Amino acid sequence: MTTRIGTLALTAGAAIALATGAARADVTLLFWPGPESEAMQQVIDAFNEGPGAEAGFEVNQLLFSRQGYFDKQIADLAAGSTEFDLSLVTTYTLGRYAPFLLPIDDYLPDDVGELYAPVALDSLSFDGSLYGVPTDISAHFAFYRSDLMDQLLADPDWQARYAEIAEAHLGEAMAPVPPAEWTWDDYVATTLFFTQAVNPDSPTRFGAALQLKNLIFNIMIWQSTLVSHGGDWMTAGGDVTVDSDAAARGLEIFQTIIDAGATPPGSINYEFGEANQAFGTGQSATMLQWNAAYNIVNDPEQMPVTAGNIGVAPMPAGPEGNRTHTHSLGIGLNAASENADQAGEFLAYLASEEAMRIYGAAGGTPPMPRVLADMADARPEFPLVGEFVDQYGFVVTGGTAATAVPMYEVLAESFSSVWGGQSTIEDALADAQTRIEELMAQ
Amino acid sequence: MARHETAGSLAVERPGTGRRLRVMRRRRDALMLAAPLVLFLGLWLGFPFLTNLVYSVSQVNFETLRAPSFIGLDNYARAIQDPAFWGAMGFSLRFAVAATLAQVLLGLVIALALRPLLVRHKALMALILLPLMISPALIGVMYRLILNEFVGVVPQYLAMVGLYPNLLGPDWVFATVVAIEVLQWTPFAILLLFTALQSIPTELYDAARVDGAGPWQCFWRITLPLLVPGLAITGFVRFIDSFRVFDHIFVLTGGGPGSLTTSVSIYIYRSFFQQQQLGSAVATSMVLLVLSLAALYASMRLMLRKGEA
Repeated sequence: MTTRIGTLALTAGAAIALATGAARADVTLLFWPGPESEAMQQVIDAFNEGPGAEAGFEVNQLLFSRQGYFDKQIADLAAGSTEFDLSLVTTYTLGRYAPFLLPIDDYLPDDVGELYAPVALDSLSFDGSLYGVPTDISAHFAFYRSDLMDQLLADPDWQARYAEIAEAHLGEAMAPVPPAEWTWDDYVATTLFFTQAVNPDSPTRFGAALQLKNLIFNIMIWQSTLVSHGGDWMTAGGDVTVDSDAAARGLEIFQTIIDAGATPPGSINYEFGEANQAFGTGQSATMLQWNAAYNIVNDPEQMPVTAGNIGVAPMPAGPEGNRTHTHSLGIGLNAASENADQAGEFLAYLASEEAMRIYGAAGGTPPMPRVLADMADARPEFPLVGEFVDQYGFVVTGGTAATAVPMYEVLAESFSSVWGGQSTIEDALADAQTRIEELMAQ
Repeated sequence: MARHETAGSLAVERPGTGRRLRVMRRRRDALMLAAPLVLFLGLWLGFPFLTNLVYSVSQVNFETLRAPSFIGLDNYARAIQDPAFWGAMGFSLRFAVAATLAQVLLGLVIALALRPLLVRHKALMALILLPLMISPALIGVMYRLILNEFVGVVPQYLAMVGLYPNLLGPDWVFATVVAIEVLQWTPFAILLLFTALQSIPTELYDAARVDGAGPWQCFWRITLPLLVPGLAITGFVRFIDSFRVFDHIFVLTGGGPGSLTTSVSIYIYRSFFQQQQLGSAVATSMVLLVLSLAALYASMRLMLRKGEA
């Protein structure tokens, strides 16, 4: 009897030990609620049913609220939290997070460089290592009302008026050109033509809907003017070059639009949503906006005025051609993770075309040109995103550094004071240059 | 004699010893009763305070949270020499003064006007307090819609009477953010001032009326003087709260245009999280703490003097 009990106990113990060995610890992904995590859940479900089930572990999401998300995440990462293994990373916060993340190059398949747009991988690389699997790419479009632009390009009376306005405000009698060929001068002339304060016959009250709030994301939109004029934040050697002719020209372009009343007065506090409202309610004829706005302003239920009449073009060209700021959201690996191998297996799956097709179908914008091109029927703007990112995408020098967000902050505050009329372009650039140099020195 | 003295001294000491024992017991009981609160405060306030103190004299960022290096008072010097800090202080001070004055005055008028109703229908107070239950960040989001020039209610009504002010533009933004603060927090002033009004004995009014005093005289000679402590407390609480404003301004304007609406709290938040100047941000908050304590001390002394008088 005693022998039997002993045998049973040993067998049970062995079974428990085997079971414990077979079931590997689950992986937790820290994310924020919203369309990205909803799309990610579809990928996770596919993984958990397929490769995850075979490997003996699951991936689960842990959601923090979006408000102050990055501040909470950096606090947890810095504290060495082991409550999550994977977390959201972005281009502009990468340098700050990198000390608390593991490079993931070794976890990913060799063909990853062929699948992704190179700028997407660059945007999540720091000091030569990749720190995140890119899942969403963001770039900028010049949105315009296609019905109005069609008429402008066809109507001789409108064209004559356009030339008069351009000559009066920009010193040159210009002719309208298709948006795909817009230079910054063409863009400004178009916004003036569609502004009732300048052209009382304009069908829209304003020609543009600029986003001028003291917000780092608005600087990301503006800096297409900087880079297309040959400017950058700094040289490869780290010398700050913010106070430059290119930056002054970029600020002048926005200031011309503001001074002419070609953007709504409330633009000084506009961000993504407000610009969409101005454009989508038919008040503004154009807007420089994130690609994510396409689905909103072209949705007949949300924006009946503009839906179906939306055109998108690359950001207008400067002497260096068309350029668009590009950044990525991605998933990185917590350096304090106790399940790094399992998390790495999920990252390898996430970097596959299969996973990114699921993610794209569920609402994400995966930075894989082939996936984007194949989804043109469901998301008409996707091929353009792929094309623009591939051809015109840039990440400013220092845009993934630890000081990227502080530098954006300085630019947002300095330039917002210009747009709000409290500072001159010269003073704001000099102030920004000094403050960024101080940041770099620290 | 010696025995006498001894006996005498014993006879004297007995009651003294008993008193001392009673005092000691009372002290022990008091300490035991206070211990949970002291422990709680020590843990939740004392530890962060000490950590802040260390960080405020250290060079520290997120990578060196556990190994800050001592740099003396450099962070304090940097904070005090930063024009942006004084700009933020100036904004917070103007904001707090304007918002507090408006809330106290409006709260007093409404409390006086609604007093008869509030006495009879106590549930009315719950309705008045509803705005306090909304998160200030949500208030900011609500006003982003309400003030939107194309879809917002306020600009539409103003347009109907021919007014087109840019309520979040440089000329109007200060008045707008103060008005939002006042609209949300005046109910709190109403609550405190109504409670203070209720504590004034009705006999005083009866006696005054017998002496021929009218409503205006009753207000100036009885209500207002007896309401001074209540007004002071309301003003103090609202001043402190308004001075550290963050949420609705951050959501509405991000501290702009430029830095026009950057409060001290927004300045500290930006320094800490976005510019990663942890030491400098903590030093700034310590300066703010000292200033707040000085204001608290001065106002408490004032109130105690009034109470004694």
